[in-house]
Amino acid sequence: MRFTVRDLVYIAIFGAIWGALETTLGSYLHLIFPPVVTPLIGVGTIMTGLGMVVALVGRLFVPKRGSVVMIGLVTAILKALSIGGVRLSPMLAIIIESLLAELGLLVSREPSRWGFALAGSLALLWTFFHKFFGSYVFLGKGIYEVYLGLLNAGARALGIEIGYAFAIIAVLLLVRIVAGGMAGWVAWELGRAVQVRLAR
Amino acid sequence: MERLTFSGRRKVFGIWGHLAFLVWAVVLAILAPGARVFVVLGLVVAFSVLFCKGGLRPLRRWGFWFLVASALALSPFFIGDKDVSLFGLGLSYQGFWVGLWMALRGVSIMLAMNAFSSAVSIAEVARLFEWAGLKGLGFAIGVAFNMLPTIRETIDTLYQAIKLRGGFRRKRLTTLRTLAIAVVVNSLRHGDEVVSAAQARAFDPKRHGAELPPPTWADLALGIALLSGVWILTS
Repeated sequence: MRFTVRDLVYIAIFGAIWGALETTLGSYLHLIFPPVVTPLIGVGTIMTGLGMVVALVGRLFVPKRGSVVMIGLVTAILKALSIGGVRLSPMLAIIIESLLAELGLLVSREPSRWGFALAGSLALLWTFFHKFFGSYVFLGKGIYEVYLGLLNAGARALGIEIGYAFAIIAVLLLVRIVAGGMAGWVAWELGRAVQVRLAR
Repeated sequence: MERLTFSGRRKVFGIWGHLAFLVWAVVLAILAPGARVFVVLGLVVAFSVLFCKGGLRPLRRWGFWFLVASALALSPFFIGDKDVSLFGLGLSYQGFWVGLWMALRGVSIMLAMNAFSSAVSIAEVARLFEWAGLKGLGFAIGVAFNMLPTIRETIDTLYQAIKLRGGFRRKRLTTLRTLAIAVVVNSLRHGDEVVSAAQARAFDPKRHGAELPPPTWADLALGIALLSGVWILTS
């Protein structure tokens, strides 16, 4: 990845904008909606959507492979310097989401509205899997037996088929795919509008 | 010249030593069978206390204990055959032990990660990424850190200006779009000034990036000790 001084400054700017959103709006939303209260769709999903808008707009101004990953890294490190201190889980989430967005952009090759939508969807899908990934790393595969047991117990308590639980999971994934696609779409439109404004 | 931490204690290991210990602790916590994870946890705690100021800070967070307690409390109900009855509840002996190992593994990994983050500075982490091929990351982080207050002020000023002109009373989405465009445009214009200043000084991030220090003798000795530990704990 070879970036010029201009590229690095622009990466820094978009990283700082995402970082500013994380440290201000993100902290505010986490206070109102603690993670334990909203385990399925919560602050992480909203902030990732906003972050993807910023990072993908940044891609339009630094149209080089790896720029979204760099923006994510800058954001993750700025987050470590914020008042909350070094919290590895959200930092890791930001980096992985940036990597997935970069993968989406790699698949689409040319910058396009649909490429941005794919990048956004892949990034937001991770917000669902992040907790399970973290649990697996910290606690091992035994935790999945616990999750399945909880799912079965919950289905029995509510008197519904276990298949409905998987349907709910499918809905949650679909919501993230749509939200991520919208974030990518918004990023494309916003980025184009900024380019028109700067060209004046 | 001795490297000193803020507390005045001498810094024994460099970034390579701390990185080696982190990788060792995570891998061993995952691979160590059964009760041997106690040994890993003991070594992680000892390392954190001796060499990492604030390494045991996660123990003060309730979220940390919630994760550990939930693994310990739920496993006897869902893992293994129920062969024990306690207050009328069917529990699994196997599930209890699996839950205990899971909890100890989680504590070991969490403490090892925190020990690394408390011992290694952000600048050293940035240099590690640059060494791995991400040239210019240190420069970008420096610019971002310096621009953060400016960007926050820009967002605040623009928000107040739009709000005073009645911007958020109707067509809020359009107003939000206007705000977003204005923030990005202003930030990029500010960024162009930074680029001009850097170019005027013939700055080149590829040439000006700080080098990562080589492993010290203490790091190498730690590495050898850790490799021996892998062999002992997994055999």
